[in-house]
Amino acid sequence: MGYSGTATVGELMERGRFVRITSAGLAGEPSARHHDHQGSPELLVRGARRSLPAKGFRQRCGHRPDSRVVGALLDVEGLVKSFGDLRAVDGVTLRVDAGERVAIVGPNGAGKTTTLLMILGAIEADEGTVHIAGHPLPAQRHHAMRSIGFAAGYLPLPDRLKVTEALRFFADLSEVDDPGDAVDTVIQELDIAHLRGKLCMHLSSGQRTLVGIAKATLHRPRLLVLDEPTASLDPDIAFRVRDRLAQINDQHHTALLLTSHDMREVETLTERVVFLRAGRVIADGPPAAIAAAGGHHSLEELFLAEASRHRATQL
Amino acid sequence: MVTTSFSWRRVWAVVRRQALVQYRNPGMWFLLLALPVVDAVLFSSIGVAYGDGDGSVRILFTGILLFHLVWQLTLAGSLGFLEEVWSRNLLNLLTTPVREIEYAVSLGVVGLVRTVVAVALISIVGGGLYAVDPSAAGWVLAPAAAVLLLFGWAVALLVVGLTLQYGDSAEVFSWGTLVLLMPLSGVFYPVEALPGGLQAIARVIPLTRAFDATRAGIEGGGVAEGDLVIAAIGSLVAVALAFGFVLRQMRRFRQLGWVTRVT
Repeated sequence: MGYSGTATVGELMERGRFVRITSAGLAGEPSARHHDHQGSPELLVRGARRSLPAKGFRQRCGHRPDSRVVGALLDVEGLVKSFGDLRAVDGVTLRVDAGERVAIVGPNGAGKTTTLLMILGAIEADEGTVHIAGHPLPAQRHHAMRSIGFAAGYLPLPDRLKVTEALRFFADLSEVDDPGDAVDTVIQELDIAHLRGKLCMHLSSGQRTLVGIAKATLHRPRLLVLDEPTASLDPDIAFRVRDRLAQINDQHHTALLLTSHDMREVETLTERVVFLRAGRVIADGPPAAIAAAGGHHSLEELFLAEASRHRATQL
Repeated sequence: MVTTSFSWRRVWAVVRRQALVQYRNPGMWFLLLALPVVDAVLFSSIGVAYGDGDGSVRILFTGILLFHLVWQLTLAGSLGFLEEVWSRNLLNLLTTPVREIEYAVSLGVVGLVRTVVAVALISIVGGGLYAVDPSAAGWVLAPAAAVLLLFGWAVALLVVGLTLQYGDSAEVFSWGTLVLLMPLSGVFYPVEALPGGLQAIARVIPLTRAFDATRAGIEGGGVAEGDLVIAAIGSLVAVALAFGFVLRQMRRFRQLGWVTRVT
């Protein structure tokens, strides 16, 4: 199906077309168009950059290179994954640069977690490539994993280890130079000194999330991948988690790639959103600009519209 | 060109974790300390009650002593990996630089330590309560033990491969494979004591040859070199097949998204 030059961004999104909204320049008319890897038209729309909470991050953002330049920290190209008849991921392409904060969002079943698990090398793609810090998966997985940290709200830690023992274990697996010091540092940074001697099996979900983030950051990864980091946390702990993630990003220039169903969290924490529908990227750009392009006032409105559409297709 | 290197530090990290897990798990203490003692008492007493002299006690005692080499190594490998599934730690491990071979070596080291402890306990029980010399079979014990450890490692790898597919439901295989092997591998009796159909199966299990060689050592003091060579070759083939099976299962684990079953 050909591209109609008169279609609006919202109409294209409604048709399931890919929309990329750059963070450079002001909102305005489509500035360019070309075809993505599947031959679908890709529309580039200039959008306004949104404000971000961390000052250092804003400063870096001013000099952030275009996400399409060669040598991205994470470079995912045309990922496809099917489970039987179900095409869970259908040609996902995304890139994350050093220090960027990116969210993958979409209704349940959109392919977010499968995409993350392919980025982590835990699931092998049927088609497509993943490069982390220049290392291709799965050939150089062991090297790629040195540049990546992973935490998920649903993922427990080794339950018969104390918190310090678990952190030391993961520091050794990543061959951190001074593991004792690294463990002390992340414990201090995340303000979890009171949990040092506690068995991981006795942690609350909020404590487990904080220790999980400590585990994921103690080797100072360049990219922190987070699957539902604040799921089922009370607002206070969720705020602390978001605050710590922003600090980690700000202080260590660690890129964040996260999934979340909390659109306010996404708007607060990230500068770019990759919106998935039925395993395909339908939009990629700043949260506010994506919502506006879809004809919505907020990302949450857009999400609800997408979820409603998803339910309708399931009936 | 990027090279990957084996890291003893990562091996030690996994060994330390396994040691801490087992230290804090009462069930592991039971398997390590109580089971060998119970087995030593049980089979030695049967030898005393129904045997026709010291020879029977020695054969039953040595049989259970050697079988614990297979048993403890298999338990260390299979339960060590199952622990990652029970604690849903597999995805955490997959997102670290640890390599499959490093992890396998770690479980092997833990298994060897468990084996030493179990054999020491059984030897103490045999020597102290039944006046049985654990080394009665002579130097044939050394190659027989090596063969049994090799085969035990093959069984452990097989269970790890099954665990990748079936998750914690695979626990039954860590016990079931050994329960199947014990009567079929002539631990306490020659193959000829089995019903005809089962003898054919028993003869292709490498363990059978190792136990035959050990019994020959106890009864006549000789060394059945032919049996040991066949047992060694058979065990090496078993390890190679089991390792290939684990690699195949790892590929399927990633291709079919089995990780979602264990997280």
